[in-house]
Amino acid sequence: MRLTRVARVGAIVALLSMATTACVSESGAGANGEAGGNDNTSDSIEIMYGFTGPGSDKFQASLADFAETEGIDIQFSPTPDFNSLINTRVQGNDLPDIAIFPQPGVMASIASTGALADLSEVVDMADLEENVVSGALAAGAVEGTQYAVPLMINVKSVVFYPKPAWESAGYEAPATLDELDTLTKDIAATGTTPWCLGLESGAATGWPATDWLENLLLAQQGVATYDQWVQHEIPFDDPVVIEAAGTMEELLLTEGHVNGGRSAIAANNFATAANPMFEEAPGCFMYRQGNFVAEEGGFPAEVVSDLDTRVGIFPMPGLTPEDKPVLGGGDLAALFSGDNEAAQKVLQFITADGFGDEWAQQSGFISPRSDFDPANYPNEVTAQIAQLAYDSTAFVFDGSDQMPGAVGSGSFWREMTAWVSGTQELPATLANIEASWPAS
Amino acid sequence: MVSKVVIAALAVIAGVGGTVILFWALNKVAEAFPPKAQERIKPYLFILPAFLAISLYLIYPALNTVVYSFANARSTSFVGLSNYRELLQSPSFQSTLFNTLLWIVVVPVATIVVGLLVATLADRLGPRGEKSAKTLIFLPMAISAVGAGTIWRFVYASNPPGQQQVGLLNAVVVAVGGEPISWLQLSEGRLNSFLLMAILLWVQAGFAMVLLSAAIKGVPVDTLEAARIDGAGEGKVFLRIVVPQIRGTIITVFITVLIGVMKTFDIVYVMTNGNFNTNIIAVDFYNQLFTNGNTGYAAAIVVMLMVAIIPIMVYQVRQFRVQEDQR
Repeated sequence: MRLTRVARVGAIVALLSMATTACVSESGAGANGEAGGNDNTSDSIEIMYGFTGPGSDKFQASLADFAETEGIDIQFSPTPDFNSLINTRVQGNDLPDIAIFPQPGVMASIASTGALADLSEVVDMADLEENVVSGALAAGAVEGTQYAVPLMINVKSVVFYPKPAWESAGYEAPATLDELDTLTKDIAATGTTPWCLGLESGAATGWPATDWLENLLLAQQGVATYDQWVQHEIPFDDPVVIEAAGTMEELLLTEGHVNGGRSAIAANNFATAANPMFEEAPGCFMYRQGNFVAEEGGFPAEVVSDLDTRVGIFPMPGLTPEDKPVLGGGDLAALFSGDNEAAQKVLQFITADGFGDEWAQQSGFISPRSDFDPANYPNEVTAQIAQLAYDSTAFVFDGSDQMPGAVGSGSFWREMTAWVSGTQELPATLANIEASWPAS
Repeated sequence: MVSKVVIAALAVIAGVGGTVILFWALNKVAEAFPPKAQERIKPYLFILPAFLAISLYLIYPALNTVVYSFANARSTSFVGLSNYRELLQSPSFQSTLFNTLLWIVVVPVATIVVGLLVATLADRLGPRGEKSAKTLIFLPMAISAVGAGTIWRFVYASNPPGQQQVGLLNAVVVAVGGEPISWLQLSEGRLNSFLLMAILLWVQAGFAMVLLSAAIKGVPVDTLEAARIDGAGEGKVFLRIVVPQIRGTIITVFITVLIGVMKTFDIVYVMTNGNFNTNIIAVDFYNQLFTNGNTGYAAAIVVMLMVAIIPIMVYQVRQFRVQEDQR
């Protein structure tokens, strides 16, 4: 009796499983050549992006007038979980018209499915090649085809210091890595920890440590080796990486070099980690981080409102004083609806000269164009940071943002956290990251 | 706004009306058969829509997932058992499995113990005391797991030494003169996993308490009195008389909490995203699928979870049948 029932159930299951014989998907589903995967041609377009809060409001405001004049109806879809959501939408063939990627790696993997449109005929490439910071433009290209253009950039290799305390102590901005090392040791000798460092960032804990490693590797080895490392043409645990990590260890992880001690780094939130700098007796003198930390939510409110007098900056130095490599990031706008005129106009608008003036004035925006009028920036500090990008000898995109998700948003963050907090040795850390690189 | 209300109303009307029409039509189809056959066919016809829906949304995806677990990351070609082999051989997945096992063993037992404790003790209070105690314990059930995670974030939060401690635990530690500890990063002895389990326990204890309290109140008072007359102490009364008589409820609660634990995702994802050795299966699945985009691994993980849950479901169905027979 039981047997016949089991047999019946088994038969039904077998029947249904035969229905799934066409079970593996064809690669390139949804590919549409140069026109992109979305065939929406109306004036009603959707822009999907990954930053929320005040930045999102300012972005929408920056497009409001243009959309009204041109008669375009823009539906904005901000989301804090952009990477997961864009992958879901691509797989589900529910594509937006324009997507603004915070990570070129994600953009590249979606471009390889054929869902993005070639932008070389859509935007004025000659103008962009001349005026946009070249590293930012290059980050939007995949194997020679331009799939995305930068909306805005941020600079990550900036060192902040508390201006009043710094100047009264008589310190000077170092011009080379060696000078930075000496300065670190000098400050440590006075009994104050020279650096502040915080890795905590919820599910993304560990990314500031990856920025440090990338910055040092870039400074020590130059752009070519850096690119090889990011593209996995050299292994992750190559000797040059070990050397950069060694410098990081010397600067940051030596006893007495970081505020709070080595064991507190991983639990220290990255946005507020620099705050001891601004106390009467500074808890540290230097904080290397991206420019976005100098806004509300990061530095204390009274510092942010008085940025130019309270905060000074210098760029992370290279090997020699002439070396000015800059590590940065940004948001890249890509087009899914290649044939949509409204979307094309929006892309032309945001990459053209003159975009972003009001946004920059409200802070939170650095233009990728070197011909942007620096008077638009709300304070000296932001203008100086923007100038670092324009004057750089090489502007490269954040490495972990370019690596495949399994590494750049996964093992790289995790393993670096484990190493910095002292629970794992360096060789094992680098070997683990190397092992996690997906075999493509 | 108005258009959304209109669309919603139309959807309700279409949904309900459509279903009515569907069953009316199926009934008509059944009536086309001779009466004897009609009685046999009708049940199957009426079940048909629900069965189709379940097949489409439950059975087909499940089978598809099993098939994908034998395919590669982008599901474009078969790779046989290599997904399973690679996962089971990787130390991080073994750690994930071990953590999940720890959760499975500890949380249901702890939930029942706490539930029993509160149920028994609240029973001794006066009616108002009992009500307020039970309400307080039950309140956390109303919060989502993410909300619970946010609340407990402020309990476990840690700031560098010298700065003011925002986290409750660390404030206490510093007040008695210690150094602040970053609790969620302490993976020695899997302490951080236990701290995360405490959150799930806090959320689930109310559920266990309510069911167990009802069961305890259903124990016949004569048996308790008889035991006390015979000289049994309170502990013996509880363990030898009360517990065996509420066995059925204890098992139900155990299984429900167990299944819930195996699916736990939000708490670990929100607090640590599986870092610091706290990873469990559901979080690993999410990361493999959405962060790494590796469909093969994600499918393999989920199939393993499904295989692990099947014995429990079989047991639960059997228990249910036994109870039905006893009615």
